[in-house]
Amino acid sequence: MNLSTRSPGSAGSGISPIWVVAAGLAIIFGGLLIGSFAPAILPPQASAESRQIDALFRFMLAIGGSIFLLVQGMLVYSVIRFRAKPGDASDGAPIHGNTTLEFVWTIIPAIIVTVLALYSVSVWNSTHSIKPNEQTVGAVGARYAWTFNYQLDARALPSGVTLDQLEPNIRAAVENGGLTLSSTQLHTWVNQPVAVSMNTQDVNHAFWIPGMRVKQDLLAGRTTEIRFTPIEAGVYRIVCAELCGSGHGNMAGSVDVNGNLVGAWLIVHESEDAFRSEFFDPLARAALFPPEDPVERGRQILASGVYPCASCHVVDDLGWNGAVGPNLNNVGSRAATRVAGESAEEYLRISIRMPGAYLVPGYNNLMPQFNAEPGQPNYMPDDDLDAIIAYLLTLKTS
Amino acid sequence: MATISVPLIGGRAVEGKRFGISDILRWTVDHKVIGIQYMLTASFFFIVGGALAMLIRWELLTPTLDIMADGQQYNQLFSIHGTVMIFLWIVPMMAGFGNYLLPLMLGAKDMAFPWLNAFAFWLIPPAGILMLMGWFVGQAEAGWTSYPPLSTLYSLDGQTLWAMSLHLLGLSSILGAVNFIVTIKNMRPVGMGYFQMPLFVWAILATSIIILMATPFLAGALTLLILDRVVGTQFFNPAQGGDVLLWQNVFWFYSHPAVYIMVLPAFGILSEVLSVHARKPIFGYRAIALSSLAIALVGFTVWAHHMFTSLTPELRIPFMITSMIIAVPTGIKVFSWLGTLFMGKIRFTSAMLFGLGFLSMFVIGGISGVMLASVPYNIHVHDTYFVVSHLHFVLYGGSVFGIYAGLYHWFPKISGRMLDERLGRLHFIVTYISFFFTFFPQHILGMSGMPRRVAVYAPEYQSLNVVVSIASFILGISTFILIWNVIVSLRAGKRASANPWRALTLEWATSSPPPVTNFIGDPVPYRNPYGYGSESANAYLNALESAYGPSEHPSPDAPKAIKPAPAAGD
Repeated sequence: MNLSTRSPGSAGSGISPIWVVAAGLAIIFGGLLIGSFAPAILPPQASAESRQIDALFRFMLAIGGSIFLLVQGMLVYSVIRFRAKPGDASDGAPIHGNTTLEFVWTIIPAIIVTVLALYSVSVWNSTHSIKPNEQTVGAVGARYAWTFNYQLDARALPSGVTLDQLEPNIRAAVENGGLTLSSTQLHTWVNQPVAVSMNTQDVNHAFWIPGMRVKQDLLAGRTTEIRFTPIEAGVYRIVCAELCGSGHGNMAGSVDVNGNLVGAWLIVHESEDAFRSEFFDPLARAALFPPEDPVERGRQILASGVYPCASCHVVDDLGWNGAVGPNLNNVGSRAATRVAGESAEEYLRISIRMPGAYLVPGYNNLMPQFNAEPGQPNYMPDDDLDAIIAYLLTLKTS
Repeated sequence: MATISVPLIGGRAVEGKRFGISDILRWTVDHKVIGIQYMLTASFFFIVGGALAMLIRWELLTPTLDIMADGQQYNQLFSIHGTVMIFLWIVPMMAGFGNYLLPLMLGAKDMAFPWLNAFAFWLIPPAGILMLMGWFVGQAEAGWTSYPPLSTLYSLDGQTLWAMSLHLLGLSSILGAVNFIVTIKNMRPVGMGYFQMPLFVWAILATSIIILMATPFLAGALTLLILDRVVGTQFFNPAQGGDVLLWQNVFWFYSHPAVYIMVLPAFGILSEVLSVHARKPIFGYRAIALSSLAIALVGFTVWAHHMFTSLTPELRIPFMITSMIIAVPTGIKVFSWLGTLFMGKIRFTSAMLFGLGFLSMFVIGGISGVMLASVPYNIHVHDTYFVVSHLHFVLYGGSVFGIYAGLYHWFPKISGRMLDERLGRLHFIVTYISFFFTFFPQHILGMSGMPRRVAVYAPEYQSLNVVVSIASFILGISTFILIWNVIVSLRAGKRASANPWRALTLEWATSSPPPVTNFIGDPVPYRNPYGYGSESANAYLNALESAYGPSEHPSPDAPKAIKPAPAAGD
């Protein structure tokens, strides 16, 4: 082969070195300019991780922008400068390659990716490491809702509450490992490192908070973890990012017509005191002093989000507007007529313990089965079920 | 250095065989007919997949469910859109180019195993029907990646048909690859060593090696999936001791290399098109040829970057490093193509326009690919529209633009007619602009928080989604400009000479379309398939013109004075 040693950048094309330098500077500054758009595209930085990750992205965008300008610039230049003039049927210069040039454009990208890799490793090591004094929260993903579990033990009792005030069985539970408080929302406070330990009840999901820049899949049969440290008070949408079925798109925080937050949101309070007074203590009091009235208790259980009913059902009293399953307003009167010889109470009990037993026409068998035995998936104690049914039977059409 | 400069003086034009509908529909072992059969079948599924994409974009015009009854119906749309576009459009389309061109480029009369070649093709139509039949039994809804347990315990019977269909397509792919490798190894003409092969042949060789090594893993994963769904095994059911990551690992061990199966042949097409239409030798032939092999090799070590949010955290960094390394051989190719254009005599044929469009759009996919390789950033945009954008820049901006460039470039050879260049330019302009506005805004959607595979989304993302959807409708319509062009050109297009582009590779050294035996006698290849700009190449091309008729841009010193050819068909 006719390997020419001429450099196409200098000889033949008649480009002066000044233009080459000017183009190089334009490409570098153009890349920096493109990089400066990064904050406008990404959500506001609300976690310690987001600062580092955004800086990394901005760096990559600047380099990527420079490469983009270099390639497109070369392309446009060649297209204009080396287009065949009308009537010119001759061929281009017989240049087959240039070893120096090929060496350069192998080495420079290699150096760039090495730098990117080192930078990425350092960001990764610092963002996913275990932090001191983490708030640990459990997360459970189920089609199509999130539940967050907080531990309530003797050290975390609300102010003014002592163990002596508690009923014996609740006191025993608090002393032996603690109660689990549940919410559809994840609450924490500014500058508090959070570690979320996650399980799924069915298929794989992915836990993503765009504002925090963190994401981790929930894997069937495994427990996975995710860590972040919020630095700005506010509310941040939690999103499911792994396809989980029909309601995948609904498995995210949303805002209803009245402007209320519905479903999965991260709420970052101003301080630990605010976290306790606005969220944790009321939830803890409700669990420590359960109402005697089963209807009230049933409402409390469903409102807490410990069972993921809200994502699929409509209950006006609780502000639920799920569209996947049957509407539960006034369910008591309908349930009484559904199966001959079966009371509304029995019908609802079977429908929750064995959702496939009776299907409301027009709806698929999508509901998880809620089991009576501890240790089974979707455990729902009989006490809870009784209270929930008592509450459901009181629902009216609004 | 070889001294044969004008090997074909004395060659003569013969009336090549034009293929009618009846030829296309019947069993034949002629690689040219099989190539056309591949292309037509793939094009049919391109329209099917495109129609599904239009429905997806229509649904996404608003943040709520509109035209779909529920999320499940929507999930079925994009699951089949992705599967069809990958396995029934790009992969078989590239196999079509390979089948048609490879024996011609090697001066051979057919593939090494003609019967096997036909068999590999005829697996595709039933596989495609099987996949579409899923709609009658509850279509697959777990995405083209079909992660268990969604695809095992929670999906309808269409998922089983989906897996069986992919089994057939994988088998077809493997048989085709064996055929390509054996053909390239054994049927090169005298005087053509490996480093005198056209770069498209190199690309098909690298692709075939990947197919042969990777596709059996897809078959393995699919077999386990079918067993879990049908026989009651529990490979992917953790409640019974199975593991959901087993699927992800084995699936991506095939499906990442599959990206190169789809894009390396397009690289090959691009190398041919850029060199011929820039009238300049390819810059750094060996670097381009060997970087394909490097990509093929390193491509087997990067699969878990698709699992950065599910993989054990300790394993993420090694896969980041291998994924970044692969940017180097890809960069070599891009710069070599730019070097090919530099100081050329660029002719803005439709083929060249799509080649240039490929280069400029693929670069964006390459840059976002390196960003995605970086673990901390990937974590944020994983499974978002950023990834959707990236993969379409690679597979549409790369593979599909490559296919378009190849179609404009080789259509005269295949059909004996020129495509209309005015329609071709219109097709390019509309496609290029609408492509950019369909996919570029998706980067921003993903980064700002929109996950992929959702039918409903937060209202703040609507305005960009409307832009994307409208652009995508234009993109969809632009395809029909090409289809119209093909139809009118087949009926009344300008007759193509043997070598309308004055190209040096062997497929142009026979009449258009070629006779059944491809060549009269044994052709002798010009010593360098990219030797443009030399006097001997010019003499060779002039000799071809005198034997077979004038090109579209005849040389001024050609034997006979020929009137300047109009750009458009007559």
